[in-house]
Amino acid sequence: MPGKLEIVMTTPNSKMKVTVLALAVEAALIGLCAMPVNAADAQEASLKAPASFINFGGAYVSQDSAKFGEYSGMNKSGGYGIADFAVRGGDSYGDGDGTKRWSFTGSDLGLSSRGLDAAISDQGKWSVWLAYDELTHYTSDSYQTPYLGSMGGNSWTLPAGFAPLTNTRAMTTAQLGAFRNVDVDNTRKNGLLGGGFILNKEWDVKIDYNQLEQSGAKLMGFGSAQWPVAPGPAVAGQNISILPMAQNYKTTTVNASLNWKGESGNATFGYYGSYFRDNNNGVTFQTFNGSGGGAPSTQTMGTPPSNDFHQLNVTGGYSFSGKTKLAGGLSYGRNTQNMTYGYDSGVGVDLGPMVTASPTSSLNGSVITTHADLKLTDQTTKQLTLSAGVKYDKRDNQTASNIYNSRSIDGGNIYNYPNTPNSNSKLQAEIAGDYRLDSKQKIRLAYNYQEVKRWCNNFATGGGTPAYAAGTNCVVATGNKENSLGATYRLKASSDVNFEAAYVYSDRKSSFDENARTAMIGTDGNPPGGTVTGLNASNYRGFHSFFEASRTQNLLKAKVGWQANEKWSVDLGGRYGKDNFDTLYGVQNAQTWSLNLDTTYAFRENGTMSAYVTQLNSGRNSTDQQRTSASAAAPSTTAVAVPAGATWSNALKDEDTTIGFNLKQAGLMGGKLELVGDATYSLGKTGYNTTLNYSTTTSNGLTCSSSALLTCGAPPDIVNRMIQFKLTGTYDVDKTSKVRVGYIYQYLNAADYYYNGLQVGNTPAAVLPTNQINPSYAVNVVAVSYIYSFK
Amino acid sequence: MNRLRLLLLMLGFGLAGIQGGVLAADDKPQFGAANRDKDCTRCHDANDAKPVLAIYQTKHGVRGDARTPGCQTCHGDSASHIKDAPKNKPDVVFSKGTFEVSDDKTRSGQCLTCHTGKSRNNWDGSQHQNNQLACNDCHKAHAPADKVMVKKTQTEVCFTCHKEQRAQLKKVSTHPTEVGKVVCSDCHNTHGSPGPAMVKKNTIVETCYTCHAEKRGPFLFEHQPVTENCANCHSPHGSNIAPMLITRSPFICQSCHDGPHTTDSPVGRNAGGFQSGLTQNATGSNPSSHATGRGCLGCHSVIHGSNSPSGGYFQR
Repeated sequence: MPGKLEIVMTTPNSKMKVTVLALAVEAALIGLCAMPVNAADAQEASLKAPASFINFGGAYVSQDSAKFGEYSGMNKSGGYGIADFAVRGGDSYGDGDGTKRWSFTGSDLGLSSRGLDAAISDQGKWSVWLAYDELTHYTSDSYQTPYLGSMGGNSWTLPAGFAPLTNTRAMTTAQLGAFRNVDVDNTRKNGLLGGGFILNKEWDVKIDYNQLEQSGAKLMGFGSAQWPVAPGPAVAGQNISILPMAQNYKTTTVNASLNWKGESGNATFGYYGSYFRDNNNGVTFQTFNGSGGGAPSTQTMGTPPSNDFHQLNVTGGYSFSGKTKLAGGLSYGRNTQNMTYGYDSGVGVDLGPMVTASPTSSLNGSVITTHADLKLTDQTTKQLTLSAGVKYDKRDNQTASNIYNSRSIDGGNIYNYPNTPNSNSKLQAEIAGDYRLDSKQKIRLAYNYQEVKRWCNNFATGGGTPAYAAGTNCVVATGNKENSLGATYRLKASSDVNFEAAYVYSDRKSSFDENARTAMIGTDGNPPGGTVTGLNASNYRGFHSFFEASRTQNLLKAKVGWQANEKWSVDLGGRYGKDNFDTLYGVQNAQTWSLNLDTTYAFRENGTMSAYVTQLNSGRNSTDQQRTSASAAAPSTTAVAVPAGATWSNALKDEDTTIGFNLKQAGLMGGKLELVGDATYSLGKTGYNTTLNYSTTTSNGLTCSSSALLTCGAPPDIVNRMIQFKLTGTYDVDKTSKVRVGYIYQYLNAADYYYNGLQVGNTPAAVLPTNQINPSYAVNVVAVSYIYSFK
Repeated sequence: MNRLRLLLLMLGFGLAGIQGGVLAADDKPQFGAANRDKDCTRCHDANDAKPVLAIYQTKHGVRGDARTPGCQTCHGDSASHIKDAPKNKPDVVFSKGTFEVSDDKTRSGQCLTCHTGKSRNNWDGSQHQNNQLACNDCHKAHAPADKVMVKKTQTEVCFTCHKEQRAQLKKVSTHPTEVGKVVCSDCHNTHGSPGPAMVKKNTIVETCYTCHAEKRGPFLFEHQPVTENCANCHSPHGSNIAPMLITRSPFICQSCHDGPHTTDSPVGRNAGGFQSGLTQNATGSNPSSHATGRGCLGCHSVIHGSNSPSGGYFQR
């Protein structure tokens, strides 16, 4: 202490008389006085210094489950390593004049969701960062297949003698014995290198270079195609093998920007490039059904084509005053794709599905995307805030259109139709005002206008019978115009109570060309007796897709927050929405509502508990006309007689309940133990119900609800019930060491009829079973780790 | 060659940056307010209930950078507070405590003095600003690790308000959000964006293509709703139906199609196959591959688009 030192210094004459004892007492006093300051200094220094740590340990997982380990990587029972670290340093910390700092962090290093980050910077001048990130998505551990090939590979063959298989419900013992388990997953490995450089007060540059590599597979349907083979069809079409579809992708992304900031304005000039490369050009597979004794055929399933996207962006803003600002942006992008078609390209007997040769060997596809936006905001007075904005987006597909003459995989449908390079644009405008009624109340009014247009720049003509005539429209819903009006009211009823309510009404009017032919077959869209294929997207006239149909929408939201006292708060909120679609067939209406209650209680100084319950409900009702085929008109043993114009309806209902509870308590065991507990219950339920709006029977008396049909009624609800319990205790061994013990119990009871039709003996006759099962699990995880912290 | 040109361009940018950085050393903006911090830290010291001094671990506490703000740069001169702290509040109060919090525009205004442009270009008039949020409602400037800037903890902050999304992410089919791999800011620019729902890119499809570039095409045969909006079929915050679908095939397909072969046929309990009570019918065609399992997607499997001349029905 300065005071103490001063006393010593002002008695120099006594120095010679100091005894050892006196010196010891003085030293002790100095020490006593100095200690609190040193401790405070140390505490202050500790707060200012960067904290580093190493966390390592292990975890044990009790059960195999791809679903439990879907993203975490703990998909198999057994031990896993826990390893995380963060090391930080540099001369910019503390009270010095340094500006350099660096960091190196790693997380989940013992798992397949690991990540590493490193960064170094000289603040105000430059910074460079580097990151590596990995994630494996485990999708199935119950999938079985007789096919031979590697998961992630691009070729699947059948064991010798497996084919032909004409009825997958009647496999021989040898065929059943060929099935084997294949775990299906895919992995993303992502590397990033970036840098930022400040050129001067006004200009800086930032560049990111990112490379994403994807490997593995996802399950996909591979339908066998039928084409003429002398002397007859050797391959039955529409036989479905569910196989791991290879993902062997590399996506390189470059993001570069040059930024300017002036006194009143700012601008960013940017380039965004994304280059996708698929190392496969198709996946080959053998078909399992060689009807008529024919051998299995090797066919090709298409894979996503390599493509490039280049985009130039300019954004900026200008502040006329501190309160009136203009912001906007322009983008110009070019998306190209010219990968050689990978397919069964032969024409004629024995060779492939094409009836005549493909007019091109690659697409030479080109899509130009443009964007412009501009927004003016004025907050000159506290009473009134105004904003007006306009946005425009256009997808201009300049790809050529040609007629392609091929067979569907059923072999019977031979189509002659053009590819449909879709273009669309969206214009949006908004004007809004916020008005403060008084110090406690605010109201906001907003008007939105949206206009969508859809078209094709190129749509080939010709194509045999029927031909695509010049002027044929390639889209049914050529556009729409939507007006929305919304109002929001906010009330600060007291310093502890806030209330908000909002209502939005929207009206969308769509325009249609039901004579458009959208490259689909079928004659349902035709007037009675018509024969032209593809009208109204081959839908019945009066059928419009939900995302483009005319509709009105009402949306109501409200919430209230109450801080009951210093310790207890409650939030209650809800939302209700109703869409009514103006369409004869298709989705008629949709509704959604939600309710949420949250509460938090600080039961002691270092302890809080919080709980919430959320209910999400939604549904939609649709209706449609049922086809009146010849067989239906004269009832057979399998088809009911459908009266002309008869309709059916389907109702979808989604109900989701989520309940959560969280507890945090620090300061236990003399301030050394912190406990965090978390419990969640989630119930997701989805159901469908179909009713026929007519009454009739088959020739032998079956109705829609007869067990041989079941075309009405409700399949079992899809129910996913999840319980999760987590408890973590962290004990401070000393100032630098902690021990963390964690326990997780997670339970999923999944009931989904999806899996029914994949089981041996229960599949459709032309679908090869996979024996995938509901991903239910009950997993216990225990983890222990040691955390060492250092400065 | 194009790639080489691009790399050279990047290198050029980089060198320009380094050169600029060296030149910029003598050209620092003169804030220097950090030198006055002692006016505040003599009371708000290491013993303060809130660890305010931890700000020196953050970028806002680098004293060597002349741009670094001091306490009063953000909280205002607060002369009356310094003179008589218990009685007078600081000029700008960011969080609830002894004094009433300043309004959202005042609080945000302090941050926007420096943090203008770039990703914040559309803050004014954005949904979050309209809902009276201020920067510090999400960001904690004094915390060494700002929760909203750390992927593993970001959702804790967003879920403070976005309760529905919190519940949706507990559903059976989600992005890898819980493990911190795809989080809110990967898709949304919370500071405002010209895109819908504050997505980072101009449109929803552009945003999705940043990770799912294989869906971008352009394909030979395009599926119209795919080119317009991924959310026509997918529910990106979570769903009861994998993979994050708004509903199950064939019902999802029947929302837009009633023409091609059996999409105009009703599907009921037969979707559940034999285990739902279906029996073999006279022709042995039960259960139908149109209704069970993958439904339409069994054959129409490349539903995002096909690049095969025989893929007009998205079967190849």
